[in-house]
Amino acid sequence: MNYPIWETLTIGGGTLVAIIAIFHVYIAHLAVGGGALLWLADLKAEREGDERMRAYVKKYVWFFLLLTMVAGGMSGVGIWFVIALVNPAATSHLIHNFVFGWAIEWVFFVGEIVALLIYYYKFDDLDVKQRHTVAFLYFLFAWLSLFVINGILAYMLTPGAWLETGSFWDGFLNPSFFPSLFFRTGMAITIAGLFGFATALALKDEETQTRLTRYSAKWLLYPLLPTALSAVWYYYSLPPEVRFVAFDLNAQSHPFVAKFLGMSVVLFAVGAALVTRMPRAARLILVSFLIVVGLGWIGAFEYVREIARKPYVLREVMYSNSFTDELGELADKEGALATAKWTKIKQVTEENRLEAGKELFLLQCGACHTVGGIRNDIVGRAERLTYLGLLAAIEGQGKALTYMPKFYGTRAEKEALAEYIAVELLGREPFTHVKTAPPTYPDPAEPLPFDAARDEYVLLVWNDLGMHCISDSDPRFVILPPANTLEAQLIKRGAKPEIVDEGVTLVYRVEEGFENPSAHVEFWDYAEKIFGAKLEKNVGLAGLGMQGEFHRNPATQSFVAELIPVVPYPDGGGVNPYPYFYVEAIDDETGEVLQRTRAVAPTSTEMGCLNCHQGDWRVEGAAGVSNKTADNILAVHDRINGTTLLEDALAGEPKLCQSCHADPALGAEGDPDVLNFSAALHGWHANYMPYDDYRACQMCHPSHPNGSTSCNRGVHSQAGVHCDDCHGTMEEHGYSLLKAEAHKEPARRLMKNLDVRESVGKAGVIPRTPWLVEPDCLGCHTRFQASEAAFTGFNKWQYRQNLYRFRTDGAGVRCIACHNSTHAVYPAFNALEENRDNSQPMQYQGNQLPIGAERNCAVCHKTTPSVELHHPNILRPFRNRVLIEP
Amino acid sequence: MDPTNLVPSPDSIPAAAWIFEALDVLLFALHILVVDIVVGGVLLTIYFHLTQRKKSALQPPDSDRLPTATAIAVNLGVAPLLFLQVLYGHFFYTSSVLMATFWLLVIPLLILGYYGLYVHRRKLSGAPVLAKTFLVLSALALLYIGFMFVNNITLMYQPAKWAAYFDNRAGTILNLGDPTLVPRYLHFVVAAVAVAGLFRAAVARFRENRKGTDETATKRAGLRIFAFGSMAQALVGFVFLATLPGDFILQFLGGDLFSTTVLLLGVGLAFAAIAAALRNNLDATLYLLGGVILAMVVNRANLRMMYLEPYFTHDALEVDPQYGVFAVFLAVLVVGVGSVVYMLRMVVSKKEASL
Repeated sequence: MNYPIWETLTIGGGTLVAIIAIFHVYIAHLAVGGGALLWLADLKAEREGDERMRAYVKKYVWFFLLLTMVAGGMSGVGIWFVIALVNPAATSHLIHNFVFGWAIEWVFFVGEIVALLIYYYKFDDLDVKQRHTVAFLYFLFAWLSLFVINGILAYMLTPGAWLETGSFWDGFLNPSFFPSLFFRTGMAITIAGLFGFATALALKDEETQTRLTRYSAKWLLYPLLPTALSAVWYYYSLPPEVRFVAFDLNAQSHPFVAKFLGMSVVLFAVGAALVTRMPRAARLILVSFLIVVGLGWIGAFEYVREIARKPYVLREVMYSNSFTDELGELADKEGALATAKWTKIKQVTEENRLEAGKELFLLQCGACHTVGGIRNDIVGRAERLTYLGLLAAIEGQGKALTYMPKFYGTRAEKEALAEYIAVELLGREPFTHVKTAPPTYPDPAEPLPFDAARDEYVLLVWNDLGMHCISDSDPRFVILPPANTLEAQLIKRGAKPEIVDEGVTLVYRVEEGFENPSAHVEFWDYAEKIFGAKLEKNVGLAGLGMQGEFHRNPATQSFVAELIPVVPYPDGGGVNPYPYFYVEAIDDETGEVLQRTRAVAPTSTEMGCLNCHQGDWRVEGAAGVSNKTADNILAVHDRINGTTLLEDALAGEPKLCQSCHADPALGAEGDPDVLNFSAALHGWHANYMPYDDYRACQMCHPSHPNGSTSCNRGVHSQAGVHCDDCHGTMEEHGYSLLKAEAHKEPARRLMKNLDVRESVGKAGVIPRTPWLVEPDCLGCHTRFQASEAAFTGFNKWQYRQNLYRFRTDGAGVRCIACHNSTHAVYPAFNALEENRDNSQPMQYQGNQLPIGAERNCAVCHKTTPSVELHHPNILRPFRNRVLIEP
Repeated sequence: MDPTNLVPSPDSIPAAAWIFEALDVLLFALHILVVDIVVGGVLLTIYFHLTQRKKSALQPPDSDRLPTATAIAVNLGVAPLLFLQVLYGHFFYTSSVLMATFWLLVIPLLILGYYGLYVHRRKLSGAPVLAKTFLVLSALALLYIGFMFVNNITLMYQPAKWAAYFDNRAGTILNLGDPTLVPRYLHFVVAAVAVAGLFRAAVARFRENRKGTDETATKRAGLRIFAFGSMAQALVGFVFLATLPGDFILQFLGGDLFSTTVLLLGVGLAFAAIAAALRNNLDATLYLLGGVILAMVVNRANLRMMYLEPYFTHDALEVDPQYGVFAVFLAVLVVGVGSVVYMLRMVVSKKEASL
């Protein structure tokens, strides 16, 4: 960063440029079109011997001279002045690359003013022919000025082959040169007509006035079709990526496009109306109105052009904040402050963070964002984000939403900038991580009894996922309803144990205090709207309530109780994400209880949306998505995707995210053009995540160690295995999900800036369908052995029915039955109560180990087997004993 | 803070540096000549209105010509400012940003000043008070603009002063502490009065030739304004030289052969012009003035290189040639100047025919 920055935080440099530039282009286009009008009207007057018309031309030229030469000419110099102040680096680039272009334009400017001065001052002295020659020369020089400047302006938007060759002519005669030239010429003629109305009004004679108003109307109306066609040509001369970013992705362009089109209609409609006879006063009002509309019209167009250039000031050469890719890379490596010439602070320290943040703001944001000012006010935009949200926004800018440049700099610089905005501009407290109140600690429950000598049955029950998250934001949107699935296998003990799946009924009931979920969440109030299901209170989407029967699943010799609507809110208050379910196996014939056990139905509402999206926890400072957070999320979604989710929700029509985003977890097909839910959510946020390890996961999932859930509680968590060790980093995870959707345009866009470890490479990433293609135990535990030191589950996916949660061993026993759910694999360490997930090992074995671990075959086998029937390497001591010993 | 580190890295230039330097010097000379006619003309016209003498040698005032001259002055200023930016943009943009607020005000004040001259001209007979008020406003605007240019140019030469930015980013840093600032500024303002005087004499002769009127008094008055103005100018110039850093003075006084030669040439031509003016020799004065202005503009360029020498020489600029485009520019220049000449001849021949 080469130049000092003029601190104009409230007005903003962009606005200053816009004010001067729009004022100038209006007059400058008039100078061109008006030149043609003068020349042709003068010819016509002579040809028809029309003295009144000649008088009119003379009147027009005086007004024209005053307006174009003084205000127009001087404001043209003004643009040059102001752009050099606001973006000296870009100005320097344009001057140095196009100096001879500017010099040529200057020659035309000389010719233009000399011709105009002579035309005006010698109007009556010259003979007609000479006068017409001068008029023509004026128009020619004016149009040639447009010709030259148009080339350089168009270069800023479509540099074309210049990017490879650096050649003047490639830059000048760039892809949008001709469409833009035609378009601007058309606008110039239209504007000449507009001002023709104004000068016609100054004529006293009503008949001449009407005649000349009609003449001017032709100037306004005739170019309409060619201008419209050249606008379309202009539009299609932009690369598709530019069109998409400017007109689809960047909602900022929409009002300007609308204004431009709307004002075009007004301009031509009112212009056409002016040819009718009307009182002078009415005409005066309409013409004044049109002159103002004309300014808005060309202003809207110039804004659209500016927006189309974003995030660049010189497309693909230099960003609006004067950074180039080259400077950016250097800043990423060595620091934006250290590599900028004009910063007082060169490095962020504890003491100078806020000051450094301000420097960074000036350096990278101030070119477009004001502070509490007219345009792109940063305060208004940042207000909806928390500190972490700001940090994420800084991390992600320019990646998914490519109309902003990336932030270039070190991690410490990103944090300093986020802190400056949060503390200094938004007046927030200095940052502390989101506080979470401790959950309600249940009393430790005694293990249920098991008589190894007399009990004939072992009942194994588990939850299918290890953690089921619920969005309790039902009035606003639903990601996941309360729907916890339990599964079970019943084993008859013996010399040759048998799996029993006939002649018995499994019944369940939830732990006391959890029987009435409808008292705690609004799911049942919206279930019909969202899921189209009329549900009784406390009954889930599969018809099961808080107590009931499992049904048989013969294919897996298991029992299943699906979509039980348990929530983590006990009646007594507090939050408990691990409610127990008590399960009994009852003999159908005798009614005898063959075995009873319990399992947790992990269910959490601790979704970390509020970390970035504002708001507090909905329930007891510990969990739940508040309306404030939900509204914030919907507003962002609406802004970026053009949806109306917030408005709909506030009108009582909340949506299920999966109604558009397909999701195998819910069996939702979604909209085929829209990314599936996991890909969208992870792919989008991966671009923004300020962390690149497991802390990224903790931002959203209930795995933060200070949270109320700490869902990653299996043995791996204690062995130092983190989320990213199995799933890959957030970026890799997002990438693998997006890759499966790569036939959809948004997926490709989101993938662009995600990093994948070198050893795999982007090309090597195997696409994943969420929930059906997952990392697997055997990815690291090759052949059931201890994993190697450099373990990773990333990119070693397992598919569908072979997934751990569905798989059975050689004997028909489900892996998950003995090892417990993913994320809670025995021995599990639950933060609420250490053995809460270990109920069954504690019951059947008196320890926390997997069922049958350490050659404890006697849990089921009455005689010790000699072969490793369930899986290889089963007959051995437990490897991680150190974790469970006090 | 080492000011060298603050100097931005320059972009490459599309032709040899001397080409831009030459274009800059030539066109700046033309520009400043017309600026002198405008600024000096405005000041003389104010003086004329203040003294209110009907039979004044300042009759008729310059009012009619001022707006047109302004248009040409601005137009001729664009080109040298362009070429200046090619060679020294990295200095110029920096100093401009440091004084951005004052610098940008140049534009609205230029528009005001320019319109003011039109108001003055159109309303002089109908509403003299309004006309004169606008004349004074225009004068103030023009003097402001000149002062800001002098501030900017002197600030641009001195990166050692740039660190002031770190205490003031509002774009309100001026180079007021510089002892050369006021002499330099006065050197331009006094020159303007002298040149405008001479221009009046030249216009008077033109009128005389065309209309056959006797303009002897006006011509003499103009030449006297030029002569006495130039004498004052010599004094101001001497003070300006004296306020320069010591080693620059030494370079101008023998240390650097080229700089010394040009300075002596400029001063010598100036004295010769004064002498010619005192003898009422208009032609000689005009030619000599051309030489003086050219020499002084080269002087100015020499001084610039002395200032910038610790930070920058032309060799530092990478040349990425675009001689083809340069040739197109020259061709356009020839055609453009040809068209202008054609149009002007049209006007002049018309006059001659009508005589």
